[in-house]
Amino acid sequence: MTTQTATAGLQEHGGMDTKKLGVWIASVGIWFLPLLWIDPTTYAVLTVAGLAMGMLIFLTASGLTLIFGLMDVLNLAHGAFFVWGAYVGFSILNGLQQIGWVEGAGAAQSIGSVVLCLLAALVVGGLMGIVLEKMLVRLTYGSHLKQILITMGASLILVEILKVVWSPNDEVVTVPQAFQGSWIVMDVIITKFRVAAIVVGALVLAGIQLVMMRTKLGIIVRAGVENKEVVETLGYNIRRVFTGVFCAGAALAAVGGTMWSIFKEQIHPAMGEENLIFALIVVIIGGMGSVTGSFLGAIMVGLAYNYVAYTLPPLALGANIMIMAVILLIRPTGLMGKE
Amino acid sequence: MAEPILSLAKVHTYIEQHHILQGVDLSFMPGRATVLLGRNGAGKSTTLRTVMGLTPAASGEVILKGQAVQAMKPYEVAKQGVGFVPEDQAVLYTLSVEENFRLAMLSENEKTWSRMETIFKLFPDMKKFWRSKAGVLSGGQKQMLAIARAFVNDHDLLLIDEPSKGLAPIVVDHLIESINHIKNHTTVILVEQNFYMASHIGVDYFILDDGRTVHQGLMDDLVHDEGLKQKYLGIA
Amino acid sequence: MENKTMQPTPVQIERENLHRVRFTRPALWVQLVLVACLIAGPLVVPSFRAMDVMTKVMIFAVVAASYDLILGYTGILSLAHVTFFGIGAYSMALVVFHSGQAAWYHIFVAMALAVGISGILAVALAFFSLRVKAIFFTMMSLAFAEFVFILGDQWHDLTMGEDGVSFSLPGIFSVNWSDGTFLGATLNGRLVTYYFILAASVILFIGLVRFVRSPVGRVLKSVRDNEQRSTALGYKTFHYKVLSNVFGSVVASLAGVLFAMWLGYVNPTSVLGIPVMLNVLLMVIIGGMGTLYGSIMGAAFIQVAEAWLPDLQKLAVLLLPTVEVAQRLAERWILYFGILFILVVIFFPKGLVGTARDMIARRKLRLAQRDH
Repeated sequence: MTTQTATAGLQEHGGMDTKKLGVWIASVGIWFLPLLWIDPTTYAVLTVAGLAMGMLIFLTASGLTLIFGLMDVLNLAHGAFFVWGAYVGFSILNGLQQIGWVEGAGAAQSIGSVVLCLLAALVVGGLMGIVLEKMLVRLTYGSHLKQILITMGASLILVEILKVVWSPNDEVVTVPQAFQGSWIVMDVIITKFRVAAIVVGALVLAGIQLVMMRTKLGIIVRAGVENKEVVETLGYNIRRVFTGVFCAGAALAAVGGTMWSIFKEQIHPAMGEENLIFALIVVIIGGMGSVTGSFLGAIMVGLAYNYVAYTLPPLALGANIMIMAVILLIRPTGLMGKE
Repeated sequence: MAEPILSLAKVHTYIEQHHILQGVDLSFMPGRATVLLGRNGAGKSTTLRTVMGLTPAASGEVILKGQAVQAMKPYEVAKQGVGFVPEDQAVLYTLSVEENFRLAMLSENEKTWSRMETIFKLFPDMKKFWRSKAGVLSGGQKQMLAIARAFVNDHDLLLIDEPSKGLAPIVVDHLIESINHIKNHTTVILVEQNFYMASHIGVDYFILDDGRTVHQGLMDDLVHDEGLKQKYLGIA
Repeated sequence: MENKTMQPTPVQIERENLHRVRFTRPALWVQLVLVACLIAGPLVVPSFRAMDVMTKVMIFAVVAASYDLILGYTGILSLAHVTFFGIGAYSMALVVFHSGQAAWYHIFVAMALAVGISGILAVALAFFSLRVKAIFFTMMSLAFAEFVFILGDQWHDLTMGEDGVSFSLPGIFSVNWSDGTFLGATLNGRLVTYYFILAASVILFIGLVRFVRSPVGRVLKSVRDNEQRSTALGYKTFHYKVLSNVFGSVVASLAGVLFAMWLGYVNPTSVLGIPVMLNVLLMVIIGGMGTLYGSIMGAAFIQVAEAWLPDLQKLAVLLLPTVEVAQRLAERWILYFGILFILVVIFFPKGLVGTARDMIARRKLRLAQRDH
């Protein structure tokens, strides 16, 4: 934003407010549109499912958006972290099953086993992120084509290794006892783990916002997204910050994968790529480098996907692409992207 | 004679295939504000950027306080006690004024905050807009913020690149006043096209032309040397 | 008139030079030998597997070259190029499948459909690529490709879903048709189809080469090298980009028709899948971006590797019968594609033809310097 537009914005402030209000009403209102063809009870179920899905996509998208915003790196291996997280969680759950912490477990044990899964995924994802960044991503700064090729290659390798370590087939994930089943609130069936997914997503969002807004590290990252040269000349090693962000992003994607595997109750090796597509759409909608933007985008994508999938399953992804196209036509940098 | 705080010897710098600095020799004395003068494209900004390691020197030596720094990364140079105010976009628009300052503070201690008091006296606008986004500041205020931000650390050396660019004369006067205050505490190296500003801040000067050092001396002498000014700076 | 005695323009000189060396360039002879080999191939080596690989090399050389026209000559990185290939393949399969009985004109209907659909889609995508940042476009094209894949996978009424569509070709293209021998080889539908595909691939490839050498291609090269200068010279660079996108996409869809004809079977994974896209991208990179001819080498390399890498598993069983991990690793041959991706980008970024051209140019320069 230049000085002129800033002052122009200030002068038109009165006018902007009504326009902004209109945009807000329209953008909130559009989410009630599906009520025209979906009955309210189903709508409520779909909304909960959509929110949960959105929260989990956000886990992958938040890292992706920061990696891009900070270093202009498009990481197509992000889906590989996701699927590795899912399989690591799957193995941990299988292990815990032996000591009775999964099937037939009490509330504390169930929560404990999910937390253990998430921690394991966090560590594995984070380590993979550091290794990938230091070994390969470093070589590709400044060239999108190289990034796409190298991270694609890395993704192929990681997924194939995964197939060797586990298996190339679908596996069923056992959900810890306390998270099985659902609650019924006023005829609306609310699956328990969906609520857990929303809670975890909200916690992660709060955590990221806290770090980004309240800590020095957050200031450095936000400043780096805007202009990394200035940050560098102020005495910060931006590459080290970037490695950290890459590691954190990978860890979050892995956590997302674990949550997703329990959410869907099954895993398969291609789930990383599928999730990556969603995350890419979310990142574009939200604007590169904006965590808040990708949160909004993830919720939109999750909701739209569920509403459309209920009526016309093959077109659900198409609906998301439509949303992305429309938003890009209005705002070429996404909802909250930098100009 | 005292040791120079910063000196460049036969420095060559390329930007892509362009040979920008073609053997720059400079030395800066501690405590003496020095101005780099020269036409557009003479290599003044590149000289500062080469010192900072942003456009690394292909050959030659850059000695800072007796230590060779030409191979260092920008953040390492900054940690050696060099502050840098780049030509434009120096402030981070999406951060608040407060966050811009906190970003600049390499350590947040008593001493830093007492320096902030001085800064608020020099630049009262900084206190007024403390919580606003830096993007809403005026051009002059942004430049003040950029300079003030470099001043929060106890730097030995402050490199300032064309601070007067695009600013109204009255703002330039305020800037001169503030930089003159800062130069009592730290060695200032200034790149400036505005001769009025340059002559009111500089003690020593260097003139660069086509990537080489062509002249040096005392600012007071240059002010009266019409021939030299005509030849290298295009000032009648 | 003075104009008659004017000096020839640089373009005229270049054209004349090209014209003069037309029959003496080594490249021409390489090309002729290559075509001759492909013609003689099935007659000399009567192995179905070899013929299958050769056909796929031809088809994918065209697909990769058409992708190179877009990536290497306009710099637009689309990950939806194989989508056009898939549209062509499905056009062929569905026209025959849904009409029940295969007829002659179906091939032309399928080609017309493929050209029409992919042309319109390519224009739309190209316009989008102007509107958004390049990297956004790349990401969007990936999502779009996935969407079309899902349509192919789930729109059961039209595409028969993930099971795919089997169909038989009309008349002499049909696998069941056979009529004696031809120069020692059994003359059957396969062989006819092979030569049809060979002819079509050569025509499509020459079309691509002519496009690049045409005035439009010259502008494209200048856009690639310096877009600002071309714009300043008064070229509407966008028009040229759209044109090359549409041309490249249409060629890819026609190659898709050929592919469907060869297999007699189409499913989402084989013609719309992202891995196919990655293969084509790898072919272009291995051959060398912006070289067109590199695509032939890239396609040959990948297709041959794809045909024989699975044998690695047998080798592993043979050599390391007790090491289970080695066998499981050998089984995952996509793993080696991933490694190849990374190695090529790091050590061989200009590809085979690009590196060779660099070497020739350097040698010429050295010779020129020695002469002086």
